[in-house]
Amino acid sequence: MSKSNIEHIPAGASWEKSGNTSWTQCPSCKGWFHVGPGILNRPEVKLHCPHCSSDFAQADAARIIKVG
Amino acid sequence: MHEITALQYALEKQGRRPIVVIDKPVLANGKISDIQVVCNLTASRALVARALGINDHRSAAPIYAKKTGNPIAPKIVSAQDAPVQEIVLEGDKADLTLIPALKQHSYDPGAYLTAAHATTYDPDTGVDNTAIQRCWIKSPSKMSYYPYPASHNNRNMRKFWAKGQDCPVVFWIGHHPAVLMGTQAKLGYPESHWSACGGLIGEPLRLVPSRTFGEKIMVPADAEIVIEGYALKDQLEADGPFGEYTGYSGPQVAAPVFKVTCITMRKHALYHDYGSGLTDMLVPDNMAMEGKVYSIVKAVAPALTNVHVPAQGRRFHAYMQFSKPGPGEVRDALAAALAYRRLKMVIAVDDDIDMFDDSEMMFALATRVQWSRDSFTIDGMSGSLLDPSTAAGAKTLSKIAIDATFPLPPFPGAPSPVPPRSTVPEASMAAAAKLLNGIDMSEWPTL
Repeated sequence: MSKSNIEHIPAGASWEKSGNTSWTQCPSCKGWFHVGPGILNRPEVKLHCPHCSSDFAQADAARIIKVG
Repeated sequence: MHEITALQYALEKQGRRPIVVIDKPVLANGKISDIQVVCNLTASRALVARALGINDHRSAAPIYAKKTGNPIAPKIVSAQDAPVQEIVLEGDKADLTLIPALKQHSYDPGAYLTAAHATTYDPDTGVDNTAIQRCWIKSPSKMSYYPYPASHNNRNMRKFWAKGQDCPVVFWIGHHPAVLMGTQAKLGYPESHWSACGGLIGEPLRLVPSRTFGEKIMVPADAEIVIEGYALKDQLEADGPFGEYTGYSGPQVAAPVFKVTCITMRKHALYHDYGSGLTDMLVPDNMAMEGKVYSIVKAVAPALTNVHVPAQGRRFHAYMQFSKPGPGEVRDALAAALAYRRLKMVIAVDDDIDMFDDSEMMFALATRVQWSRDSFTIDGMSGSLLDPSTAAGAKTLSKIAIDATFPLPPFPGAPSPVPPRSTVPEASMAAAAKLLNGIDMSEWPTL
C-alpha cells in the first residue's frame, strides 16, 4: 500500500473536540487497532496486529487514519 | 488467558478486594506453571495501609510523607543469604515464557509483566532508579520494555545509548507491599528508591548484587523473581496496545527491545501481577501520590491536614483538606498541587467534609462553589498524555483548581458567615440507630 492509504484528520479549533488517537487497519485480518504518534513517525518499526499477530510495515497497512 | 483479570473485574464490580492466589496457572503453551500467580495484593486501601503499619488508610498521606522523608539506607547481603537467588537460570534455561504473565485486556497483543520493577542506573553518577514498567514477553529470550518517555529509567537508557552501549536493566517482581509502596515514592533525578523503601519498612532493605551486573545494579534479596539483561541500543519494536491505568487501552508505541541474560527466583516463587487500570494498580501509586502532594503543599500551606487521590479519578484528581486556612492559603495550596505532574483537577475542602466519600465531595461542590470566583484553570502544564481528552499532538494539558471551602469567620471566635449544616441532635441519631438495629429487615424490599 502507498501513503495514499493514510487519511489525515486535522485537529479542529482549540475549542472543538477532535480526539487524539490514530488507527491502523491490518492488511491480513482487516482488524483495526490504535497507534501512537511516535511509532507512526518511525516507518522503520513494523506495526503488530494484536488481533492476528501479523507484523507489517506502515506502508503495507490497509489503512491508517491519522488524527492531528 | 484473560480469566484472571476477568476475575478481578468481577470482584471489583461486587466491591470486594481480596488478595487472589492462582495455584496452577496455565502458560501460553498450554502447560501448567509451578509458579503461583498473586494479584489484587494492593487493591484494598485498608490492606495497603495495614502493610505500612497505618491503622486507618485515611491518614496515610502525612504518615507516608513522614516515613519516606526519613530514609534508611539499604544493606547488602551475600547471594547465600538472598532467597531470590535460590534458583539461577542462565543461557537457554533463562526462559521468559516459563513466567505465568497474564494477557489482561482485549487489545493487549500478548502476555505482559505488569508488576516488574525496572532498575537501571545513571551511567554518569552510578545512582540507581526503580519504576514499574510494562514488558511484553515476545519469546523465551526477548521482550519489549516500555519506559515512559518522561521517566528516569528512560533518561538512563538514553544516556547509555548515547555512549554507544546497551542499557543494563534488571526487573524484579514480588515483595512485601510496603517495599512495593517505597518504589512508588516520587523522587528527583538521580535518586535511589532503596532508602525510601527502608523508611517505609522501618529497617534497611536487603539488597544483593545482580548476577549479570554485580553491585552496579542491586536487587532486593527477598524479591520473588528477577530478570536481568539489556535494553539493546537503538532497537525498537512495536509494543501494545496496552490497557492502561486510565481505564483505556493505550496506543501501540515503538519500545526498546530487552534481551535476557539471566533469571533468578525463589524455590517456590510467586508471580505478582497488577491488574492494570484496576484499584489493584491504582491504590499503591495513588497513596504514594497522596504523600508526595502532602509534602509539596504542606510547605506552602500549613493549614493542610490531609490529601486524598481517589481511584475514581485514576491519577488525575486530588482532594485536599484544610483546617482554619489563612487568607489566600487555599489558593496557594491549589496552585502548588496543580504543579504535580499527573494531577489535572484539585479540590480544596473544609475539615467537616469526608474526602473519602464522593457524595460528601459533591455536596461541597454543590453548595460552596461559585465557579467563576472559586475556580481557576491553567493551560500548558505537564501531565499525562495518556488522557484521552488531550488534544492530538499536545505535549501539555489544561488543569483546574477548585476552592470548595467556606469563608473564614470575620473575627476569631465568630461563626462562619454561612448557614450551618442541617443536623439532628446526636442523642436522637443514637436512638434511631438503636431502633433500627433491633429490626429484622431481611424481608424488606430492596428497590
